[in-house]
Amino acid sequence: MTHHDHLMSRRRFLGNFAFTAGAIATGTGSWVINADWANAADGPIKVGIATDLTGPIAYSGNSDANVARMVVKQINDAGGILGRPLQLFIEDTASNESVAVGNVRKLIQRDKVDVVVGGITSSMRNAIKDVIVARGKTLYIYPQLYEGKECTANLFCTGPTPAQQCDELIPWLVKNGGKKFALPSANYVWPHVLNEYARKVIEANGGEVVFEEYYPLDQIDFSATVNRVISNKVDVVFNTIIPPGVGPFFKQLYEAGFLKNGGRLSCVYYDENALSINQANEIEGLASCLDYFKALDKSDPVSAKIQAEYDKMFPGTFQFTAGSAATGTYRALKLWEAAVKEAGKLDRVGVAAALDHAKIAEGPGGPAEMVPGKRHCKMNMYTAVAKGGAYEIVARSAGLVDPKEC
Amino acid sequence: MEQVLSALFEIASFGAIVVLVVLGLGIIASMMGIFNFAQGEFVLLGAYVTYVVHAAGLPVWLGMVAAPFAVGALGFVLERTVVRRFYAAPIVAMLGTYALGLIIREIVRGLIGGLYISVPEPIGGSINIGNMHFSTWRFMIIIITALVMVGSYLLLAKTRFGLKIRASLENPGLARASGISTPAIYGATFAFGAALAGLAGALVVPVFSLFADLGIRFLIQGFVAVMVGGVGSFAGPVAGAGLIGVLSAALPWVIAPVAADILVFVLAIVFVKFRPQGLIAGKGI
Repeated sequence: MTHHDHLMSRRRFLGNFAFTAGAIATGTGSWVINADWANAADGPIKVGIATDLTGPIAYSGNSDANVARMVVKQINDAGGILGRPLQLFIEDTASNESVAVGNVRKLIQRDKVDVVVGGITSSMRNAIKDVIVARGKTLYIYPQLYEGKECTANLFCTGPTPAQQCDELIPWLVKNGGKKFALPSANYVWPHVLNEYARKVIEANGGEVVFEEYYPLDQIDFSATVNRVISNKVDVVFNTIIPPGVGPFFKQLYEAGFLKNGGRLSCVYYDENALSINQANEIEGLASCLDYFKALDKSDPVSAKIQAEYDKMFPGTFQFTAGSAATGTYRALKLWEAAVKEAGKLDRVGVAAALDHAKIAEGPGGPAEMVPGKRHCKMNMYTAVAKGGAYEIVARSAGLVDPKEC
Repeated sequence: MEQVLSALFEIASFGAIVVLVVLGLGIIASMMGIFNFAQGEFVLLGAYVTYVVHAAGLPVWLGMVAAPFAVGALGFVLERTVVRRFYAAPIVAMLGTYALGLIIREIVRGLIGGLYISVPEPIGGSINIGNMHFSTWRFMIIIITALVMVGSYLLLAKTRFGLKIRASLENPGLARASGISTPAIYGATFAFGAALAGLAGALVVPVFSLFADLGIRFLIQGFVAVMVGGVGSFAGPVAGAGLIGVLSAALPWVIAPVAADILVFVLAIVFVKFRPQGLIAGKGI
């Protein structure tokens, strides 16, 4: 082979490679799902889903998209809304804000959807909300648990807020763990704002915060932190370190004898997906507080029915959990359905006005209702403890818990 | 006293983990002059093989034994089919191996559903001395790293194969004229580097759990280690890895972790500025 040939083949190889990479990058990621019947005079109502189908949190995004498929199918099977079928548009936000803005713009400008549900991280919500709400003049519903403080008009939140996750859980932790809290955290907005609220509740309940410390998001060795926890005789580790750090952190705590000495782990984003991060004995007794756990299917027939329907439609790796915003997506679509029915039309002003006080009697974990004027959602909250690789419900809120936002 | 001892143990164990991960990268960089950006994904594959073997119901240690062979074999195939075409252009080689890494990472992400999956250690629990608890598996990692390091050194310094590798590195033309098949040597060296990464992944997966970005986490640290240690020799990257690993584990004990993370890189850059040839200069062992 001459030198010239060699160059040519490399150039051709790179050309082909670039083409393939481009095709992979742009070819997938958009889905349109039509109803079986699309013969209504006004045409279908268009529902947009913008979520992370690829990237590090794709397991959450795919669950959310699956829930949307399920709910839209159920609504269509029951005759649609206002006699019109729903048409579902799913776009990938790819865990990448700049890709997301482009794809969400497609939903708004090309598909002209009537509502957008989605976004998982706060940075994603902040990146796409302007495209949807301000320039797009479209309704936006954000389904994930988050740090609160999102008070934009026409943007509704259906996931738990710090108040909902702390007000029930922290008194329980003081009673069932102890008074000395440590707040090890990943260094981004959610832990900072959540800790600010958690600290108030801890102190109001007679506890104290021994240390609050922030780590780079990709830190995976926590020996110094574990040492601080052990030597300060901390009772409760209220953790907001996220994967990949959280697994090694809990493991190192376990190996240092934290659980054996009676320590209590707590982590409010921990759902069924998170159980696989550690071996069961390393997180025995971990307490979480969410709007839904799979374990509810024993006591709540409505939750059991929704869970069973989901598992039947989507057997596989993408689970129906609260931490991945799947339950928030369910509530978002059902509350929006109720609002559209009440408004009797699809213009944003009318639907937003109805959504402001929308209620659903049935959902995962129980009923839910929007707090008028607050654009956040009241819901039941459950405290659950990890036992042998599954959750056990140990406490339930007395009724719907107020989000205390806006 | 107790606190100092446990600090020393934890710092040594993380240092050992970084050395283990960087070893393969260093050998490929030093002996072949290729910066293999897919090295992190070879680590990931080693972890994945261990998980697959464990998920099939077989003992974890069997997966750890299989991982270096499986990843080494893949490394050999990739060298034959792809990497070999890049030897003339090191920059293109970086892009090419980065692309390979990306493909491997996304395939593994698909296979594990993007989740974080725990893999148990073959020997779990901790060694308790008084009030101190030392993780048994981290202790094992320190020992295995020392053994692998000595083994690799002996292979490169004392065997005929090692001599051929060094000959091919220093003067490929003369090596070929002396009857050494340099393409075969390059293939074997790349496979060996990949196998070491596979072993590293297999050993660290019980500590960090399996996730698609496992390799990426170590890639930057690995390159900084090679840069600080010095390219060209076996000892350079190893020394650099030890230094970076110990620094990144030790600094959070004394200053805020967020600052420590940055400080490691700042120190590395300052060091390279004043000693661009690295800790250990020159070619050879």
